[in-house]
Amino acid sequence: MNGPSKFNWTGWLVFGLFLLLWECGSRASPKLQLYIPPVSQIVVALSHLIVSGQVTTHLLTTMRRFLEGYLLAAAIAVTVGVALGYFRFAHSLTEMLIEFLRPMPSVAIIPVAILLLGIGDGMIVAVTVYASTWPILINTIDGVRHIERTLIDTGRTFGLARRRILWQIVLPAASPYIVTGLRVSLSIALILVTTAEMIAGNKGLGFFILDEERSLQSSNMYAGIILVAALGYVLNRLFVVLQEKAMKWRRGMVAREGL
Amino acid sequence: MREPKLNGMFFLLALLLVWELAARAEWVNPLIVPAVSKIVGTFSELLWSGQIPLQILASLKRAAVGYALAAAIFIPLGIFMGLFDNIRRALEVTVEMLRPIPPPVVIPAAMLFFGLEDEMKIFVIFFSCAWPILLNTLDGVKNIDRVLLHTASTFGLPQRKIIWQVILPASSPQIMTGLRVSLPIVLILVVISEMVGSTDGIGYFILDAQRRFRVAQMYAGMLALAILGYVLNQLFNLAHRSLLPWHWGMTKRME
Repeated sequence: MNGPSKFNWTGWLVFGLFLLLWECGSRASPKLQLYIPPVSQIVVALSHLIVSGQVTTHLLTTMRRFLEGYLLAAAIAVTVGVALGYFRFAHSLTEMLIEFLRPMPSVAIIPVAILLLGIGDGMIVAVTVYASTWPILINTIDGVRHIERTLIDTGRTFGLARRRILWQIVLPAASPYIVTGLRVSLSIALILVTTAEMIAGNKGLGFFILDEERSLQSSNMYAGIILVAALGYVLNRLFVVLQEKAMKWRRGMVAREGL
Repeated sequence: MREPKLNGMFFLLALLLVWELAARAEWVNPLIVPAVSKIVGTFSELLWSGQIPLQILASLKRAAVGYALAAAIFIPLGIFMGLFDNIRRALEVTVEMLRPIPPPVVIPAAMLFFGLEDEMKIFVIFFSCAWPILLNTLDGVKNIDRVLLHTASTFGLPQRKIIWQVILPASSPQIMTGLRVSLPIVLILVVISEMVGSTDGIGYFILDAQRRFRVAQMYAGMLALAILGYVLNQLFNLAHRSLLPWHWGMTKRME
């Protein structure tokens, strides 16, 4: 519907107007300025934070925690998911457990994690793993269960070893589902990392944003929010690029995301 | 189908039994992982004393207002963006710029503005479910068969009637999807915003219990939250079934 390469002039114009309105509105009212500083001030604060390197450690910490948690969750969830999807008996055992744990908002695990692991990196990574496991796990189970039995039976008839059936039939056939799960978990992992950093952290962007709010440095706080948003955006783009590379064979079948 | 259900039940019970034994035999520190029986006891105590219902009510109120507000604003906006290409293009960039912000980091900004009041949480919830509702509605409207719209206007239906009798029903499954996707997000954001800045609500209750080292209470709060999540999901299904019976039947058959 929308031309892929056509530059959206009106869209950017409206966004520019929005920023201009923000700038003028904030400059017009000194009271408002305390809460919502002018855009120009936020941009200055942001570039200052980046140039002085003040925010680098926070950004790197958040990224490291995110990657550790996300990748660990992916490894665990895909492995367990394939096993549970493939072996009906194992699935029947754990189905109730999964249905019972899943509806609980995953952030509620943070207090338990603090209790068990204390305040620190381990806790933050652990809650990220816990929360981002669910979407991948559920989707992987679904994906494996939806594979046509004939595919696997054919593989067997041709005498393929179990390992090769796994790598050459089960994983590729379930991969669209797995990718969906991975995608959902991407934003969940970022939510959990920043939340855990806000509740119990002394480093990281989540901590930085809340800390700046508490010391009423609102420009720095907004700069931090922009950084997190940028991080989320870049991670998402990266995911899409990797996904298109890996899933070239079924491009066009994948639903379009966003607008 | 009955046998797997039984299997699952037995497995769950066995797990709980192991937990109970492990806590009683002190293989794990019972101060950190209390016995299941103790958690359930605390839970029922807190339930009857009215403490848990009170906290859940506080959370639910915020969740409901934020969710309803987001639906009331972003469903109509999504319809307009889906119907008029130039409105969509005009707002596209702004939406794409705001969307990647992870909702929890909005909490500090909202705290600056609203303090620790209810409005803060309501705003955060409103913000967090805005995008799934908006984008799903938009997609739903955009994917309506154009023949439907042309037929309606050929028969001279006024714009208002077209919206109510053609567009809304035709895009309702997608709108429902947006509302469904938002439901767990709402719950997560209520809990987070109560943990970060609040003096009541179930999220506050859980974190507070942990900080005071009332461990059984903490687990009881989590149990309450899990039940809440489950009940909300069931209620949503019920609403879905009674509002869109035809669609509900379709999705069930597909599963």
